[in-house]
Amino acid sequence: MTTDAHMTLIDAPVGTFVRIRHLTSRPEISTRLRELGFCENAVVRCVMKGYGNIICEVCNTRVGLDSGLARRIQVSVSE
Amino acid sequence: MSSPAGGAELNRPGGLRGERHVAHGSRGASPIRLVALVGNPNSGKTTLFNALTGLRQRVGNYPGVTVERKEGRLRLGGGPEVTLLDLPGTYSLIPGSPDEQITTDILLGTADHTPLPDAVICVVDANHLERNLYLVSQIIDHRIPTVVALNMIDIAERSGIRIDVRSLARELGVPVLPTVASKSEGIEELTSAVAALPAANSPGNGWRLPAPVERETDELAGILEEALHISPPNARHEAMKLLTTESALLERMDRFAPEVIAHVKRDQDKLDFLGFDRHSVFVESRYDWIKSVCMQSVARKSSQERSLSDRIDAVITHRVWGVVIFLAMMALVFQAMFSWAQLPMDLIKQGFDWLGTRVAVAMPPGDLRDLIIHGGIAGVAAVVTFLPQILFLFFFLGLLEDTGYMARAAFIMGRVMSKVGLHGKSFIPLLGSFACAIPGIMATRTIGNPRDRLATMLVAPLVSCSARLPVYALMIAAVIPPLTIFGFISLPGVTMLSMYLLGLGMALFMAWIFKKTLLRGGPPSFIIELPPYTMPSLRSTLTLMWERAWLFLKRAGTIILGASILLWFLASYPKLDGGTPADRLNHSFVGFAGRMIEPAIRPLGFDWKIGIGLITSLIQREVFVSTMGTIYDVGSGEGEHGGLAERLRSSRDPLTGANSFTPLTGICIMVYYVLAMQCFSTVAVMRRETNGWKWPLFQVAYMTALAYGVTFIVFRAGTAMGIGGG
Repeated sequence: MTTDAHMTLIDAPVGTFVRIRHLTSRPEISTRLRELGFCENAVVRCVMKGYGNIICEVCNTRVGLDSGLARRIQVSVSE
Repeated sequence: MSSPAGGAELNRPGGLRGERHVAHGSRGASPIRLVALVGNPNSGKTTLFNALTGLRQRVGNYPGVTVERKEGRLRLGGGPEVTLLDLPGTYSLIPGSPDEQITTDILLGTADHTPLPDAVICVVDANHLERNLYLVSQIIDHRIPTVVALNMIDIAERSGIRIDVRSLARELGVPVLPTVASKSEGIEELTSAVAALPAANSPGNGWRLPAPVERETDELAGILEEALHISPPNARHEAMKLLTTESALLERMDRFAPEVIAHVKRDQDKLDFLGFDRHSVFVESRYDWIKSVCMQSVARKSSQERSLSDRIDAVITHRVWGVVIFLAMMALVFQAMFSWAQLPMDLIKQGFDWLGTRVAVAMPPGDLRDLIIHGGIAGVAAVVTFLPQILFLFFFLGLLEDTGYMARAAFIMGRVMSKVGLHGKSFIPLLGSFACAIPGIMATRTIGNPRDRLATMLVAPLVSCSARLPVYALMIAAVIPPLTIFGFISLPGVTMLSMYLLGLGMALFMAWIFKKTLLRGGPPSFIIELPPYTMPSLRSTLTLMWERAWLFLKRAGTIILGASILLWFLASYPKLDGGTPADRLNHSFVGFAGRMIEPAIRPLGFDWKIGIGLITSLIQREVFVSTMGTIYDVGSGEGEHGGLAERLRSSRDPLTGANSFTPLTGICIMVYYVLAMQCFSTVAVMRRETNGWKWPLFQVAYMTALAYGVTFIVFRAGTAMGIGGG
């Protein structure tokens, strides 16, 4: 089940699964994020936060993103 | 049941036309000659390349290691040998960096330097099938005959992933062969499958766009095909790119006629009006198809357990422990280079000493004996002695890469990097520059933004490379006492670490300056894949060490030997009969050149002998050591033996009798070498990578000014504090 509570990826608690709703970064960056699996409706797990970065797991792969970018990925909690 | 792949474009009347049709339609007459190896970073592509060709090549574990063009020979089944081209790793054919651009250009047949490959081996990591199939689907779109190598299938099976290979091949419409490249498993089957490839892909269950988007894309592709005279797959690729391009950017695209741009804008408006998100619809549709392919072909045992990588990451990337571990790793490398490397270094030195003695005994006195002992053996020995330290450095760099730690280190350093306006990915080129600035500069090709890339290239040579190591080691041996602080930290080790930190710190500082002035731009975005932790491969680490050792010895045997002999000649002629050894050196060509530049370097505390070293080491930095070896060997009297460091320490000014090589001199030399661009090869690589002389010349100028300025300040401050006295 998915709640309606919208937030950005940086707000996602560590260990939770979130569903991507919308990307608001620059078009070329958004394209790359989508190609790496961060496309709308994809489910992402927040693995770790620190050093101004965040580690997520998407498509069974770990990806590190800077927090500025994570703030531009709108998500909702996915259960 | 299968339906034709790729939706409408494959069913268009007339079928394939253009250059791709010509290339593939004549397979019978023109057999496979060029095979390209393509794949995501970390898919095991380089390991598979080694397994297929038998060529030795470095295997990396972080994105962006394959930035050079690498070719090998491959025998297809029992047939003739063909060329296998290892293309830079990429996630997509919409390139985001210069190395991805190379791969895209070659696969689209638009590269000037390389023809369109006759076949493609697409390497896929079986553990990350979904993400890897994205690139596969793009390559299939381009209709190049393709074989998918389903690599690391053993690890996937161990972690509960079961892949139905037949079903996957059917869905994709191309042959799929399971491989374990690290154990050379599945290689023969793979090459046989390439040999049996038809001239074009047979269609599988291709991905589809929503009908209105498909219609607009198809129509635009038709227009582009006519206007640009390109093949249907390339036209479709171009159409999808244009439909997602911002209108402001469209205006600036002068390769398209105004009416084509107007058509694109109308199509964009239409799709916007219909409520499609043009930016996401193409990627999402592809992923929807990939998901359905995986649903058909992949069974996954669900696991709620924390993976080993999770548990390791919790410590390695921890807020506090991450930094502690990172610093401890770096400290370990420098301590090891000084303690563990000592024994082999002593052995090498003793070996050369023995050789010199044997030659002295075997040959009659004369110019030839002097040339061999003082010109050849002394010069080469001074440099080769440092081989063990260089090997240790590469041993650790290799281990950090192979375990997957390097990408984590980039993650940890991401914040520091962004503080100075650099890209988080810039850390990897900078770390590589500890070994050599040339691979460091080439590794910046993974950075997409040109300003961030240039800033990284400009500062990379400030990071202390292995060629500076012999200079530091000699100076430390000469002027830093072998004391131990707190019972376990050696003062020479700390001094060495300080030099490395000075270089790194200055690189970051200069990057900050450049990003604030010449290369102003917004904060870069940082996206990096973190590969799973793996056991380091001893074979790959040893291969790296062997390659570096061979390169180093080759330079010692050619450039350094040549420079040493030339220098011996210049330091021995014109001959002066009688006088002290110092008088004879003073009378030589070298003495003349050194005295010429002495006024310019005197403010740095350098005399004419050091000046000669600065000139000769423009070839490469370690030549400074062999120069000192030659000058001090030539300059010393008969019977004065002992290490070069000892000779430097005990050298006296012939006029005043004061110590001419003080601790401050040693420190100033090290500081100068940390900051100066004393490397022709780096200048050449910069010229190649920036396509001109402007940036390399700017780099030489700013680094020389920086080195001169900082060394001057250190010398004045040191003199004021009274540490310059002998």
